[in-house]
Amino acid sequence: MSAPGVIAVTGPGSFIGRRLVDRLLERSPKLRVLALDQRRPFRLDSRVRFHRVDFTEPTADGHCAEILVRERAEAVVHTAFRTSPTPDLEMDHELETIGSLHIMNACAAAKVKRLVVASSTMLYGPRPDNPNFLTEANPLRGHPDAHSVEDRVEMEGLLSDWRQRHPDSEVTVLRPCWIMGPTYWDHVTRFFSLPVVPMLLGYDPLMQFVHEEDCLHAFERATLSPHPGVFNVVARGVLPLSTILRLAGKRILPLPASLLYRMAYYPSQGQTGDPPAGFYDYLRYLWVADGERGWEAFGEPAYTTKEAWISFVSARRMRRYR
Amino acid sequence: MVDERDSNLAPGDVETDPATDFDPGVGDLREALDSLRREIRARFPAPLGEDVPRQPAEWPALFNELRRRLSTIGMIERSGEVDEFGMDEIVLRRTRAVLDLAYEHYWRVEVHGLEHVPDAGPCLLVANRSGLLPYDGLMVCHAIHRNHPRHVSPRFFAADWLITLPFVQPYLARLGGVRACRENAERLLASKHFVVVFPEGIKGAAKVFRERYRLKRFGRGGVVRVALENRVPIVPVGVVGAEEVHPVLFKWGMPARALGLPFLPVTPTFPLFGPLGLMPLPSKWVIRFGPSIPIDHLQPDAATDELLISRLTEDLRSKIQTLVDTGLADRESVWG
Repeated sequence: MSAPGVIAVTGPGSFIGRRLVDRLLERSPKLRVLALDQRRPFRLDSRVRFHRVDFTEPTADGHCAEILVRERAEAVVHTAFRTSPTPDLEMDHELETIGSLHIMNACAAAKVKRLVVASSTMLYGPRPDNPNFLTEANPLRGHPDAHSVEDRVEMEGLLSDWRQRHPDSEVTVLRPCWIMGPTYWDHVTRFFSLPVVPMLLGYDPLMQFVHEEDCLHAFERATLSPHPGVFNVVARGVLPLSTILRLAGKRILPLPASLLYRMAYYPSQGQTGDPPAGFYDYLRYLWVADGERGWEAFGEPAYTTKEAWISFVSARRMRRYR
Repeated sequence: MVDERDSNLAPGDVETDPATDFDPGVGDLREALDSLRREIRARFPAPLGEDVPRQPAEWPALFNELRRRLSTIGMIERSGEVDEFGMDEIVLRRTRAVLDLAYEHYWRVEVHGLEHVPDAGPCLLVANRSGLLPYDGLMVCHAIHRNHPRHVSPRFFAADWLITLPFVQPYLARLGGVRACRENAERLLASKHFVVVFPEGIKGAAKVFRERYRLKRFGRGGVVRVALENRVPIVPVGVVGAEEVHPVLFKWGMPARALGLPFLPVTPTFPLFGPLGLMPLPSKWVIRFGPSIPIDHLQPDAATDELLISRLTEDLRSKIQTLVDTGLADRESVWG
């Protein structure tokens, strides 16, 4: 199968889902795009056929399969994930792991030819014993304190089982790293927008970002042309954390890990439902991914890590001065 | 209007040949450009090494400067770009002054056999590990950088616990330290770098003083396997002098676990004199490079021959031991 005629996007309320729907409609007007979500997102394009599905319901797989068969969907893009983790751990698990399982089963029942799943390089986990560049073959070790990451590691495990049971469907897993850009907003960009950014004293790991446009481009290419397999979606280049913060002119507050993890305990529990290590360990150890495979498949990214960061920072600045 | 102008300036329409159709205005233009360039240069900070006349300090400026220096502790001049393994050319260039001092006056490094280091990478330099902190890696890299005709900046491998040790980690990566693992070695060698590896690993770093200069087991043959798979030459290096920098009398296990170190070394000065006791001692250093081990005659599938690999590894280990022993004989005394 080359280019599908009917594409179903799950989770058009998430950043990638929403922007991918717009992009597909804009670039390929002949496409028919379905959207499946719990509630109709704000300002959904009128050409999109919206179906209301609650992925966390036990019967969601049957319901989804019915819709996919009725609409003759040929490709499914699964982006119904939390952009930022929420303190509702159970609901996150139901949505990200069980919801994905429902989508996979629905795809199998509806004999969908192509399934594109949004994952993340955060799933490799920040570890002191990571190699400098993590390839797609590295095990997904996750982080025990980050529930969203753990849920998605479980989801990828289910997905690889599913792929073995259904060898005739093309499965593409895209793992973007932290996304930066003028319109992207999640718990990471919120952290980097703090007036004073805390850092771990004595640690200055290399960071890697991907620009939102490059990320969406990869999703679009994966949807429209066959690219079975797993791909890291990252920008070229790495920069130390302190350098990117200095580029943005941020005030840095270096704190010892033990102190920071105690101080940030309650705010972190309130915002993400995790102990602080689930986020701050990503600013402590290395988890840079090797994007060579993705660049070969989807083309050279337009923005480097530094340019993606500058694009985010300058957009923030313009907004404040408006 | 814009369309017309654009069509006039289409590349096909412009026909100028600088050789035949010389315009006297070009000279003026060049002069103007040169003066512009001079003006731009004058506004940029002077490159490193040049003497900058100091502005008279004013209090607010002084305060700002102090704050800037404190907030970056030691890493004032950093470049906005690092290479993919985090090496920062500007930090490295500034640190070279300190390394030069250590090389010439403090440890008085003597280097032999530099002709065995190939002119172009990739190349795997295998050395004996000694001392908890990676002075040996820094010095071998610096010796090659100083004396190599192309002034290459080799990378040295450091163990996991060292590369993520707080306060050490940011500096090590910027000076060319890379976490010792197979993936990193392959990537560095594929991009034609010189890589200094210490196959003894933590066993070498954790030697006590009475075991000095006796090489430990070489891992599980990973170094030779990487060299065979990537078809790169192996150059043995014997480092003498690094063992006396911190003579470890014995290892203290109990407090080390609390600090996250593999062990706490007890030297004559540390922890007796506190952090001051960490000052490295001024021993005399000899770095000896041996003839490279040829691997060209071996078949590409030799990397799967375990017996051959273990034989080559043992051979390499004995060569480095010989280099170390020769270096020890060269040296008149520890402080020589």
